[in-house]
Amino acid sequence: MYGWTGTILRIDLSSGKVTREALDPQVARAYIGARGLGGHIIRSEVDPKVDALSPANKLVFATGPLTGTFAPSAGRYNVVTKGPLNDTLAASNSGGAFGPELKYAGYDAVIVEGKAAKPVYLWIKDDAVEIRDAADVWGHTVPDTTDLIRAATDDEAKVACIGPAGEHQAMIANIMNDMHRAAGRTGVGAVMGSKNLKAVAVVGSGSVNVADPEAFLAAVLKGRQMIFDDPVGGTGLPAYGTEVLVNILNQVGGLPTRNWQDGYFPNADKTGGEALAAKQLVRKKGCFSCIISCGRVTKVDAPGFEGIGEGPEYETAWAYGADCGVDNLDAITKANYLCNEYGMDTISAGSSIACAMELFQRGIVTTKDTDGVDLSWGNDKAIVEMTRKMGEGDGFGAKVAQGSYRLADGYGHPEYSMTAKKQEMPAYDARAIQGIGLNYATSNRGGCHVRGYTISHEVLQSGGFADPHVTEGKAGLGIAFQNLTAALDATGCCLFATFGLTGAQLVEMLATLTGFDYTLDEFLEAGDRIWNQERLWNLAAGFTKDNDTLPTRLLEEPLPSGASKGHISKLGDMVPEYYAARGWDENGVPTKAKLKELSLKA
Amino acid sequence: MTVKYFATIRDLTREKERRIDGRPGDLRELLTQLAERYGRPFRRAVFDGDGLHGEIIILVNGRNVRHLRLLDTPLGEDDEISVFPMIAGG
Repeated sequence: MYGWTGTILRIDLSSGKVTREALDPQVARAYIGARGLGGHIIRSEVDPKVDALSPANKLVFATGPLTGTFAPSAGRYNVVTKGPLNDTLAASNSGGAFGPELKYAGYDAVIVEGKAAKPVYLWIKDDAVEIRDAADVWGHTVPDTTDLIRAATDDEAKVACIGPAGEHQAMIANIMNDMHRAAGRTGVGAVMGSKNLKAVAVVGSGSVNVADPEAFLAAVLKGRQMIFDDPVGGTGLPAYGTEVLVNILNQVGGLPTRNWQDGYFPNADKTGGEALAAKQLVRKKGCFSCIISCGRVTKVDAPGFEGIGEGPEYETAWAYGADCGVDNLDAITKANYLCNEYGMDTISAGSSIACAMELFQRGIVTTKDTDGVDLSWGNDKAIVEMTRKMGEGDGFGAKVAQGSYRLADGYGHPEYSMTAKKQEMPAYDARAIQGIGLNYATSNRGGCHVRGYTISHEVLQSGGFADPHVTEGKAGLGIAFQNLTAALDATGCCLFATFGLTGAQLVEMLATLTGFDYTLDEFLEAGDRIWNQERLWNLAAGFTKDNDTLPTRLLEEPLPSGASKGHISKLGDMVPEYYAARGWDENGVPTKAKLKELSLKA
Repeated sequence: MTVKYFATIRDLTREKERRIDGRPGDLRELLTQLAERYGRPFRRAVFDGDGLHGEIIILVNGRNVRHLRLLDTPLGEDDEISVFPMIAGG
């Protein structure tokens, strides 16, 4: 095959058996790879009602056909599994260099199943696959684990691993690769921990076969130039990274503040990308084959918060900043470092602390519950201390590390969990920006912005304009973003490549790489298929239309200040139109006609 | 009124914000005034010929002027104007 390696590696941790299977070319064409292929494997092999942390769940590391090529930002892989945070079909996407290395070792996907009797790690060197004892690395942080495993295998090995949070199966645990990149959401790290799998280390000496090298080269060079020429991909993101969004979201009144009790944070500028560039930036950093380099290597010297690492991204700066009422960027960055070291999703971690702070504000928890930590809004030391306790699984921290829904529900107040389908929503207030609220409510993995980033049109005027305060047209806009993103995620390219790269150019790269005569219509149909595949699996897991909603706060409590003061989410005005435009019935179930159109089985 | 500058626009203005004591009637007047103060790089960033540059984001009280009346957007004494380059993230 071209683009794909044509091989799937299967590792049964219960028996220690390692097998290889051929990738069906028709499956490859229809589901492309990464999120699409991984979802297809999970839907084919995992009972949707299985306990996500049981040996019956499976963990798929899947690359896309473009992964490992020099297509722009083509360094992505997905971790696909049943996510324990909220029981959805999880697909967590990460960059760095791990995905390309897996591809060079010869695999489109690695399926991990069962459970090891004791902690192990996988050592994959091309065709040689070993399940190794991980006793010496269990308990270590992500950087230490990475160093230890490289020392035991190969200095050039690319390592994806869990930290202590994943080991004790915190529901917001992630899988870190290349030390600083994260397959972050839905608790995929807890699944890895439940299987006693500490890490996957890989070295590959192969390459990616290209169907039409000359045409692929031309398509890639054109695509790279499109990003380079784009004001966002070529200038805005490289200059300040994603953190630059803090101020614009604040100015439109859409920066969730103090656990979404407001949409405006007066001190936001102290936590934005401009402040990071002035105070902490060491250098920019890009993932494999990326010309954008949105990553930030940072250093903090402030006493009590010292450290060096990567981040924060916008989402992290918001979750630990405005959402916790904290305006000390040094503390925010330190909390980010700790999340990376312990292996926790920064969005869910910061948001869950914000939830704990609201419980504290309302007297539902006191310092007697929090092991003495003062969770008053804006307490910069508290966000760092609580993050450490979460990573260690210590006392109240262990409760917070289960995510805000379980935390708030445990105290009888689930209404203070700012989640959609029990996953913490990201940094855009759905009362100020109507379309993103529809996306949160309908996202197949719960609260998430990268399933359908309508912010591009609603706030950033990138690629189009849509008034954030109106609901008209948002169903169609949301679906267009969701389908394109699903297809893009399946290729192995980064979402940020679309800040410049058109869908048509992406298809040109994919077609010349694989030799399949993909058209833009077929590509978008693949995205639609991937979306519906995830929807069908979630429905079978027990989700219904009642789960396509938002926290009551967003539907009933108007924003009290800022530029969107007085607004609420009008989600109910958008959902019926969304279902109809998706080809679903009034209960949000894909119709027979829709399934036939996409060649999907119910 | 107050004008606030963000990201690379701050490199052009060398200040984060400015209080405007005069009464520019609309956005065109305001930007023309500001272009005189900050010079050609700022003018090139905000204007494209006689129109608003396609790669500038200007909010008046949090509303993108592309959803208002672009350069003809009327301004009042208490208005807050925010000027951003094209940015993104996630």
